[in-house]
Amino acid sequence: MPRVLAPADALAALTGATDPWLFGVRHHSSACAAALPPLLDRLAPDVILVELPADVQPWLPWVGHAEVVPPIALAAVAGGSVAFYPLAAFSPELQAIRWAVARGVPVEAFDLPIGAGIDDGPEDDGASNGLLDALLVSNGAPDAESLWDRLVEAPAAGADPEAVRGAALLYGWALRADGPARPRDLARERHMRARIAAARGRYARIAAVIGSYHAAALIDADADPRPRLPGATAPVAGAVVTSLQPYTAEQLDSRSGYPAGIRDPAWHARAHAALAAGEPVDGVAGEVLVEVCRHIRAARHPAGTPDAAEALRLARGLAALRGLASPGRREVLEAVESAMTHGEVLGRGRVVARALERVLVGADRGRLAPGTPRSGLAPHVEALVEALRLPGPGEVPTEPLRLDPLRSELDRRRHVTLHRLAAAGVIYADRTGNEDDEALTAAWAPRWTAATEATLAAASLRGPTLPQAATGALRARAAELAANDQLDPAARVAWVAEAAACGLPDLVVDGLADLRGPVVAEAGLVELVAALELVERIAHGHVPGSPVDPDRVVRDEPGAVPNATIAGQALADARDELLAAAVRALDGLQGSTDLADVRALTALTRVFEGAPERLGDGRLAWALERLADEGSAPIQGGAGACRVMLGVEPAAALGERLASWLDAGDVLAGRLQGVLTAMGPQLEGHPELLLPLARRISALDDQAFLARLPALRDGFDVLSPAARDRLLGAVSEHLDGEPIRAELDVDPAALAALAAADRAGEAAVLALGLPWPAPPPPAPVVPDAPIPDDPANTLRARDRWRLLLGRRRRDLPPQTGRYARALDELYGRGRGEGSNRAGGAGGGDEPPFPTVRDWGEELGALFGGHVRQEVLGRAAERGDANAALALDPDSVRPSVELLEQVLSLKGGLSEAQLDTLRRLVDRVVAALVHELAVRIRPALTGLTLPRPSRRRTDRLDLRRTVLANLRHARPRADGPAELVTERLVFRTRGRRAVDWRVMLVVDTSGSMDANIVHAAMMAAILSGLPAVHVDFLAFNTAVIDLSERVDDPLALLLEVQIGGGTDIGRALRFARGRITSPTRTLCIVVSDFEEGGPVGRLVAEARALVESGVKMLGLAALNEQAQPCYNVAISEALVAAGMPIAALTPLELARWVGEQIR
Amino acid sequence: MTAVQAPPPEERYADELAALAAWDGGLRPPGWALTPRAVVTFVCGSRGEALGGVVISEKFVGDRALVERCVVTLAGERGLLLVGEPGTAKSMLSELLSAAICGTSRLTVQGTAGTAEEHFRYGWNYALLLAKGPSPEALVPSPVLAAMQQGKLARVEEITRCLPEVQDALVSILSDRRLAVPELGEGGMAFAAQGFNVIATANLRDRGVSEMSAALKRRFNFEVVPPIAELDREVALVRRQAEAAVARVGVPLGVDQQVLQALVVAFRDLRVGRSAEGWAVEKPSTVMSTAEAVGVATSIGLQSTFIGGVEPWRLLPGYLLGVVQKDDPKDRGRLLAYWDGAVKRRAEKDALWKGLLELRAVIEE
Repeated sequence: MPRVLAPADALAALTGATDPWLFGVRHHSSACAAALPPLLDRLAPDVILVELPADVQPWLPWVGHAEVVPPIALAAVAGGSVAFYPLAAFSPELQAIRWAVARGVPVEAFDLPIGAGIDDGPEDDGASNGLLDALLVSNGAPDAESLWDRLVEAPAAGADPEAVRGAALLYGWALRADGPARPRDLARERHMRARIAAARGRYARIAAVIGSYHAAALIDADADPRPRLPGATAPVAGAVVTSLQPYTAEQLDSRSGYPAGIRDPAWHARAHAALAAGEPVDGVAGEVLVEVCRHIRAARHPAGTPDAAEALRLARGLAALRGLASPGRREVLEAVESAMTHGEVLGRGRVVARALERVLVGADRGRLAPGTPRSGLAPHVEALVEALRLPGPGEVPTEPLRLDPLRSELDRRRHVTLHRLAAAGVIYADRTGNEDDEALTAAWAPRWTAATEATLAAASLRGPTLPQAATGALRARAAELAANDQLDPAARVAWVAEAAACGLPDLVVDGLADLRGPVVAEAGLVELVAALELVERIAHGHVPGSPVDPDRVVRDEPGAVPNATIAGQALADARDELLAAAVRALDGLQGSTDLADVRALTALTRVFEGAPERLGDGRLAWALERLADEGSAPIQGGAGACRVMLGVEPAAALGERLASWLDAGDVLAGRLQGVLTAMGPQLEGHPELLLPLARRISALDDQAFLARLPALRDGFDVLSPAARDRLLGAVSEHLDGEPIRAELDVDPAALAALAAADRAGEAAVLALGLPWPAPPPPAPVVPDAPIPDDPANTLRARDRWRLLLGRRRRDLPPQTGRYARALDELYGRGRGEGSNRAGGAGGGDEPPFPTVRDWGEELGALFGGHVRQEVLGRAAERGDANAALALDPDSVRPSVELLEQVLSLKGGLSEAQLDTLRRLVDRVVAALVHELAVRIRPALTGLTLPRPSRRRTDRLDLRRTVLANLRHARPRADGPAELVTERLVFRTRGRRAVDWRVMLVVDTSGSMDANIVHAAMMAAILSGLPAVHVDFLAFNTAVIDLSERVDDPLALLLEVQIGGGTDIGRALRFARGRITSPTRTLCIVVSDFEEGGPVGRLVAEARALVESGVKMLGLAALNEQAQPCYNVAISEALVAAGMPIAALTPLELARWVGEQIR
Repeated sequence: MTAVQAPPPEERYADELAALAAWDGGLRPPGWALTPRAVVTFVCGSRGEALGGVVISEKFVGDRALVERCVVTLAGERGLLLVGEPGTAKSMLSELLSAAICGTSRLTVQGTAGTAEEHFRYGWNYALLLAKGPSPEALVPSPVLAAMQQGKLARVEEITRCLPEVQDALVSILSDRRLAVPELGEGGMAFAAQGFNVIATANLRDRGVSEMSAALKRRFNFEVVPPIAELDREVALVRRQAEAAVARVGVPLGVDQQVLQALVVAFRDLRVGRSAEGWAVEKPSTVMSTAEAVGVATSIGLQSTFIGGVEPWRLLPGYLLGVVQKDDPKDRGRLLAYWDGAVKRRAEKDALWKGLLELRAVIEE
């Protein structure tokens, strides 16, 4: 029958105990650390027993050494497990050891040795008797840690040390009485009781400094109300290695990921210093608040003495309301949040949080006493390197090692160790050869140098074993990136990849959580697909450091307990969420004209293709349908093809659509490119896709075909020459006449050699008795009736296909060959498979046209003026400067696209050519500005003035009121007339028409050309308005101010250099510095919001601008057809920060500006 | 007197207030009707304990520390600004606080875009003004001015809906604690009596709001009122309020606990963008407040009682779509994604969710 004591009796028993005298602590406690030395002075014990594993006993003199600067850490490594004991000035254990060492009193580490290998038992069997919950509720504490703060830390100020001891012991007793203890705790207590019993024989006055939880069990073996379960006591194989190392405040903070830390160490250090000096803790709160304000001001946000004073008042008020003598850490944090963050999670909230972190974590670095024996990481690594037969200290470096980590066990261990060393920052081995992650083998050049020694010493701060040092270094790197706002999705994916390569499953699981969290929230489609690929590689066991097979896990020492592999569920969850996020990101693809996006779309669809029941497939089909209907030309094509791949649309339906696009004019080429990029090689296997198109092409008359030829050729150009050859063969099966057999464009001699080599190979394989695959059976011939040629046409169908695919020009009739030659001038040999064959059957046999003029004339003669301009324009787009110069400034049709193309050339032109170009651009710009201004100016004018009104406002128009009511005036007997006011007239709020400032912040990174043209023209139009000052800031990763040139769009456009990355946050910071009157400023950001810089900083900057009163507008990039194209996740974050994002045409933008400044 | 729909808390809880005033005789801040401790108890309840003979009911379901901070703020120099998403009981909290601290919650300015400066300062009885010139009799005090003169709490609802110029009228009142009426000449200065302070509420993230100026922000302590953290408490609250709502028309709430729970779970998932199991969920642009959940539960209850024919749970997807899809057509896609993700996964284990999954077509069309 367990004995149940009343709290008061239990406390009396604990505090009254003298054999041993008990001091129950929490391992980090400023109150206990301050109370312990005076109590020890009073007691003057003969020996002090400290709750540390017996293994660390040899280190205790070095821990208590007078020259040690805390924080330091004791570590004990046994097998795969590491026990870690960080010791700070506010650790009671450190105070006890110091006290003992200084006075020459023996001090013993009397806890169970680390190697005893006690099973931890079930984490929590839930058998709480409700005591703890009741205590939590009655003290208003959310968790046990806060309860300790309430009961022990907060009342410690000015209290007698004995009272602190009593409070701590009572807390421990309550925690222990709440429920049964775990087997490991019971075994430890048994051991400690035995050690106490042994000490009784040698010493008279014994003091024990233990966790307050254990106190009761040390004086009374029956204090535990539960029958004892034997712990599994199989000692761990291998020696226990202990070490003592310096430590840092950042590591001590429990958020750093290091074990046995505490939140906000600097707070505890300050509180300890105040308590030990007998000063009020109240002063600490004041100090901390003043410093937080200083850090906030350093980040250029207002926070002054009034804020600090209010926060302190609030903290004290809360303390008083909660019955505390002085505010504790919790009260200070609450006060800061209320009085300083202004309810902002972003923007100011981030600044305040960072200031708090800097003040409360601190930057203390510990130091060991001189002469402390060497321990920790360096000896560990030396042993490891020797075991792996890698060069150690003083050894001559070997040849570069080629490791095959997926096949050889030794190589896998070496591979992981080299990765871990690199991650820990130890300079030891360079990776030579290619860095491709997909490669099966990797070459390394390991070498033990002086740099290795030096970097090892630095890395040893992070832990006594290599995995721990690598873990610490990787965590520190993530923290540093986060502090500099550089932890973007790409960096996170790279980080997880590195953790996986290092075989650190804990980190990988954390990283996977990040992939599910921040990455999903911020990344664009491309990054999401990259993250998906990484997850799939890990899941398939292709990352040597992170195998899926538990037997292949890399261990540090022989016999060590293997690490767990990464839980399959974590991978599956991450994959599901990445998939869902990728589907979500499709919305932003609508206006993209980049074929890379089509490829990403296709890759994503493939993931779903084989598994129709995957989560999110419905959403994908829904998104694809929208993209197929409303997307830009390539996206429409790509989405249509993806729908066929998903099986939501039959191939025949897409085929009919493909055929109908022949009449779609400008978008034909783009849509074809989309379909072909997505389906590419599969097209040959789907005759139903191509046949409708083939029928239409045969049916067109010559003129109509030639008008569409450049677009068709442009569309099919995305296929490689070899693919086009095969396609030609496949199509010709269905046309009149002999099918066109795909010929090999290879020298016959070479062909013979190749065939001989093949046969030799076959013979060799057969000689070894291996099976040789039989040739695949010939594909069944489709018995369709061939598509007839229209006899009225000169151009036969097969020749038309030769022309539009740009293959087999030699087989064309001479007259038709001219068309092919004129187009080949533009498209050349093509890209990809088959493009570099000698003597190809494609274009390029004849000499090129001598000049662009000749070419242009030929084009004009063959196809007509419209096609001539189109083809030359395309040539200009492909970088042919001469083609642009051949365009006639006077007759050219002004369009934004043409302007873009021409502008893209300006970098590579001579001054004379530039002059011609300038005339062309000038004309186009003038025409466009005129056209736009005619539409836009009315939207901007028509400002209103104050008007009289009968609606009640706060301004009475006295003059008009008197006038309106004069007829009701009555003379009064006592003199002045009385006016009975029947009608009141008020003034409406006048709208001021003084100057506004419009800042156009324009992204000039790649693929933003059309938007720059629009922005430049808007700037010119706006700057022509009275009372509007226009700033034009162009940015990629740098910002330039082009405000001087806003009235001259030509100069502006010639000044802007397209290209580079995107750092919107930096541009906004620059803009913020230039704003003088925030409430009268409009800040318009034109971008695709594919932020390359840190997203957190971008959002914070946007928030800061909005808070200051600037009217923000994000203009999502539009392509020429005014379809938006932008990063969905980042835009949503910005909208949440108060910056509306819209895709507006120039006219709509003008209306918005008009509404704002009216 | 006819029964009012929502009596102010000082009337509804008059007995509790009286009991608390008698129970805690501790030090009160100048001008306060109760001690800070008693105010916190009034708002958060006495956990079943009888104080002065009366058990204080729990009125605000939320963090006690938040209420403590509010109370301490109001005893100081700054105003209290309660911010949070719509439907998080900010206004109720402000009413409770002012009823407990100064005995009235009636000195209220309800902020709209049409709120003028006179609602914060003072207006005139124009007939009297024109007839007799500026005089204290012709002055019409605003609720804020009245609160200053009486030493009570003024409440400003939805402060961010007022235009920024109008909001800024509060800046000098809060910092100088006085209000000048230049028309009245020398004597035209109103000074705040002890006990005066301002409680404002705001949705910082709602549409159609004006930003607050930095000067005004510095005169307030901000408290973010979060949505209810625990599922069980939210389900209980939704049940309680929906029952009260259908009780007004005199019928019981015919929605069982499981359906109610599914409803609240769906609301919470879509609100925080993460499901109860930790899966990512796409957040719609609409606000998924507890108040809306009560509305849906009430509607489902009323429809199944008065119209009938359909089991209550079958109505859930339709109502959910109605809440989610307000003005952004993309929100329908987001709800679909929720069905494709979280609902589909739950359907593997739970019959009710399986049934809901089969109703996916309701959302699709």
